[in-house]
Amino acid sequence: MSETCRFEPEILRAAAADHWTDALRDHLRECDHCIAAAAVAPWMGRFARISDREHILPDPSVVWLKARLLQGSADAGRAGRPLDMAQLIAYMVVAGGWAAFLMWRWNTIEAWVHRLTPSGLVASAARAESLSMSFFALLFVLASMTVMLAMHTILAEE
Amino acid sequence: MELTAMSLPAALLAEAQPRTGRPGRPMDEARFEMFYRRTAGALWSYLFRMTGDAAAADDLLQKSFFRFLRANPELATEEHQRRWLFRTATNLAMDHFREHKRERKREEETARDHEAGPAMEARQVLRHDMMKTFAELKPRERALLWLAHVEEADHEHISEALGVKAKSVKVLLFRARKRLGELLTVKGLAPEVRR
Repeated sequence: MSETCRFEPEILRAAAADHWTDALRDHLRECDHCIAAAAVAPWMGRFARISDREHILPDPSVVWLKARLLQGSADAGRAGRPLDMAQLIAYMVVAGGWAAFLMWRWNTIEAWVHRLTPSGLVASAARAESLSMSFFALLFVLASMTVMLAMHTILAEE
Repeated sequence: MELTAMSLPAALLAEAQPRTGRPGRPMDEARFEMFYRRTAGALWSYLFRMTGDAAAADDLLQKSFFRFLRANPELATEEHQRRWLFRTATNLAMDHFREHKRERKREEETARDHEAGPAMEARQVLRHDMMKTFAELKPRERALLWLAHVEEADHEHISEALGVKAKSVKVLLFRARKRLGELLTVKGLAPEVRR
């Protein structure tokens, strides 16, 4: 069923040239596919001949260059994918770190914040033992990571 | 073939020239330029007849070549590369139709409002009328008819380009021809085949 009728090329040529032989006319009587082909072939021929010459095609060197640029940005996007993933993981680690830190020492932090009044600061000046070194060290590490991540995000976007 | 010489535009006639492109090597700029010069005219005509819009045809032509260069298919012959390109262009054109369905209806209505005016040259009027007739067909019918009659593609090539089974091409092509035949009859443009 998929095969072209063996007369079709000749039918198309005959239809285009309006030059029919008896054999082709005989065939047309019995082949619906060729009748349909012959009915549209001259019109399709005229349609194909309508000149497109006034249209200037894009220059091949421009197409080549654009394709290279697109390829370059696609490659850059692909190369940047692991970095994006690392950045996402870093965001999650920092956010998780802050959440764990706040949960771990929430009572201490809350009490410390409540004491942030002039009188409270004076009163607690003598008792610096309420916040351990590890607390400040962890706070410093988390704050540094947050700042670094923020700087990286800003610079990467720029 | 006589029909080729008689009916095809100049860009297609260039196809008949011997091809110097060597397969199996990655495409460099010089090879691409040769391939482009041999195929772009025919592909643009196909896309223009499919879409009826020169800007869209330009856009789809470039996209097709971008994809071609990105995929850099290592195909046996230039004929295979050309088939690959037509298949890609057909897919892009079909996507274009899906994306611009509503927009196109609006444009068609506007075009009807600005029917061929007196200032339009006879050649332009003919082109306009033919494009309008062809636009009445479904995109797939347009592709089938153009590939079969202008590109002289065989059923296998058409089935590849349209993503349909090779077995279906004969029936689909028959229907498309019947439909165009009916349109031409309604418009009084059908040829008289002397039997």
